[in-house]
Amino acid sequence: MPTSSSDIDRALVARIERRDADALASLYDRHGSRLNGLAYRILGDTGEAEEVIQEVFLYVWKAAATFDGLRGSVLAWLIVATRSRSIDRLRARRGSFRASLDQAPEAVSPEDLEADSAGREWESICRSAIKELPDDQRRALELAYFEGLTHQEIAQKTETPLGTVKTRIRLGLMKLRERIRPYLHRESDAS
Amino acid sequence: MPHSNRHEELVSLQVLSLLGPEEAGELDRHLEAGCRVCEDLSVELKQSAAALAASVPARRAPPRVREKILASLGPARPLERPAQAKPRSLLWVAAAAVLLAALLFDDWRLRREREDLSGRAADLASRIEKKDAELARRDLRARVLESEDVRLLFLGGKDPQPRARAKVFWSEKAKRGFVVAANLEPLPAGRQYQLWVFDKGKPVDAGVFDADEAGRALFESKDLSAIAAAENFAVTVEPQGGVPQPTGPIVLIGVS
Repeated sequence: MPTSSSDIDRALVARIERRDADALASLYDRHGSRLNGLAYRILGDTGEAEEVIQEVFLYVWKAAATFDGLRGSVLAWLIVATRSRSIDRLRARRGSFRASLDQAPEAVSPEDLEADSAGREWESICRSAIKELPDDQRRALELAYFEGLTHQEIAQKTETPLGTVKTRIRLGLMKLRERIRPYLHRESDAS
Repeated sequence: MPHSNRHEELVSLQVLSLLGPEEAGELDRHLEAGCRVCEDLSVELKQSAAALAASVPARRAPPRVREKILASLGPARPLERPAQAKPRSLLWVAAAAVLLAALLFDDWRLRREREDLSGRAADLASRIEKKDAELARRDLRARVLESEDVRLLFLGGKDPQPRARAKVFWSEKAKRGFVVAANLEPLPAGRQYQLWVFDKGKPVDAGVFDADEAGRALFESKDLSAIAAAENFAVTVEPQGGVPQPTGPIVLIGVS
């Protein structure tokens, strides 16, 4: 019987692989809000964000057998799937619309925050870790992660040499890793 | 190639999907060389990148989206795991199964071909036998027709078949003949036409025959070497296989 939150996720994916629709519904209930928040952060559009999470969960339904627990948690898998689909949409419409890092996030009502206390604690840790990064490293990471810019595009946008951008990305991720490493086990349980 | 900051940089870019083809190839070669540091780093940096996502406020995932997802679950088949992840033994089993299936199919195909050839050979043998019999009959007819003593007799129809007509080619030397008939009525089941040769005023069985759908018949008589001379001919309708003496009505009788 699954004992941790991460175990529960893996058990749900195993049931999805056996075509258990209830397990997919449970996974949606556990992570849909977080993924919807990420898709909305990247796309800035409620309808498109919902389309993305719909695509992601249908992908999970079809591709559950390809999930490899050795390569990361179920949540990390879902996040990668959500981000990549959101970035694809963003790049497709680039030119007519571009999400801005300076765009104020939409006010979130209390009922929108569905994460449990452990999840909210993990979010707080991540925000703190990101906030502690040097501005240039955090900006390089956010431009790449949320706007889907290539390192060349980041170099142009920030008027920074390409090599420096690569270094900032590497250092930023390495520092994030150091900041969150003590909590990774707890994150697995909280996810 | 030993692990370096360059490889950490490549892993960082990979985690954010920023690698170009050349850089991706460079990292692949390094990982294939067995760098555990980069393998572990890749997993950890993915978690670090996920921290970026976790920093974003959650937004309520609408129940209607959940319902749409569940409603659109078709009978989709699960994707197969990558081929290299399958145990080698399973691949051997699959290969052996394919080979066995191919051999069984080949065996079945050869058996069927052999049966087919046997059937065709039997059919050819039967056709040859029929042709031989037909050739023998034609040879006999030719000898009858070519014999110097051949006689041609005409048979006329009588009630109940007044339109029936026949010609008898008869050789006294061979004591055999054949009949060409027309306008014969179809007979009920269990009945055949029977030819009679009158020898010294008495009818002698010369064999039975059938007419085709058009009422025609080409019939060769029995060997009648026991008779002294053929005085006349008649055809009656008799039970299947014929009778020693005529019992049915005469439908054809010699008119000359």
